Amino acid sequence: MFLEHGVRRRAFDATDMARVAVFVALIAALGLPGSFSVLGAVPITAQTLGVMLAGAVLGPRLSALAVVVLLALVAVGLPLLAGGRGGISAFVAPSAGYLAGWVAGAFVTGLIVHSSARKPSIWRTAIGTVVGGIIVVYSFGIPVQSLITRLSLEETALTSLVFLPGDLVKATLSTLTVASLLRAYPRAFRRTWLPSRWRDSPATETTR
Amino acid sequence: MLTLYRPGDGPWHRLPVGPKTAVLMLVVLGVSVLPSSWWGAVVSVAVCTGCYTVRGAGMRSLLAQVVTIRWILVITLAGQLVFTGLEGGTANTLRVCAAVVVSGLLPLTTPVGELLDMLERALRPLAWLRLDPQRAALTIAVTLSTLPVLARLEREVREAQRVRGGGRSLRLFVIPYLVVALKHADALGDALTARGVR
Repeated sequence: MFLEHGVRRRAFDATDMARVAVFVALIAALGLPGSFSVLGAVPITAQTLGVMLAGAVLGPRLSALAVVVLLALVAVGLPLLAGGRGGISAFVAPSAGYLAGWVAGAFVTGLIVHSSARKPSIWRTAIGTVVGGIIVVYSFGIPVQSLITRLSLEETALTSLVFLPGDLVKATLSTLTVASLLRAYPRAFRRTWLPSRWRDSPATETTR
Repeated sequence: MLTLYRPGDGPWHRLPVGPKTAVLMLVVLGVSVLPSSWWGAVVSVAVCTGCYTVRGAGMRSLLAQVVTIRWILVITLAGQLVFTGLEGGTANTLRVCAAVVVSGLLPLTTPVGELLDMLERALRPLAWLRLDPQRAALTIAVTLSTLPVLARLEREVREAQRVRGGGRSLRLFVIPYLVVALKHADALGDALTARGVR
């Protein structure tokens, strides 16, 4: 679990491999039929939630790798995207850019959430999931969608606003989830944090 | 596990993976550059049905493909009709639909194993980037065996949630599921290490 003194850990060891595999399968499982009803009857894919969580839990490199593995398996013809979609058709559909955006989005989420040696606060996680999971994903998705459907960039951006409420719900949900996970199963993050400034360390507070 | 592959012996099934991918990508590219006019719409629909009116494919699988992407089509069509009018909107939506449905022929007529082999061949140049292609292949293999496990865990957590009166709320589902999944990841990592994977 922890780094042993004098023994250099491989950059990508077996546990990392297992964590990547589990997050690929988790993102796929979040798109299984019998979808969740987040906003009434609208079928919403929880897969972007999985991407945000991957970034926040695995960190930049491993989460981007997990999304790449997921997309490779989709390209090979496994129906792992929401609604049982898969195959190379997913990469010529109007939503193809969003898939590319998932890679960058997970990376940026991980970069922001893991940016400090201290435990991620609610705010850092919230900024990470919104910037990585929404802004970065959209900035890949909208131009590609506009290119494929031949609708101008502004108009495509306007139609994409439909998804914004759902994505904000997912960003909120993943932020709260990460906060709970930090307490419920801190091992998940596979790193040690310095005690968070306010809650865990009265000693440092008195010395400040 | 369930894949998109449907066994058959039509021309698409008999074509080797490499040439098939190339042909289908060329058709998709051809469809994608059609103009946004009525005749563009007619040509894209004709090409698409043409690709499917052979043995081993058929109209039934074409319809199934359209049904899977119905939400994408509805959203695309709605945006198009508002901003580009009837002709451009219909043509653009049909063109996108045709491209997606034609490329759907690849997973429909090729076993996943063959496509995985192609992927592994494609991974070989990773060695130039000082990445280990074997390790990449192992990661994919481990992932393939993890997919059904996590789907089963998902069902179990959902059932537990329903029994306790949690309904279908995503909020109540996600934390227990994440903890169960990550515990599985740790166990899997230990199992791999115990078997000599470092």
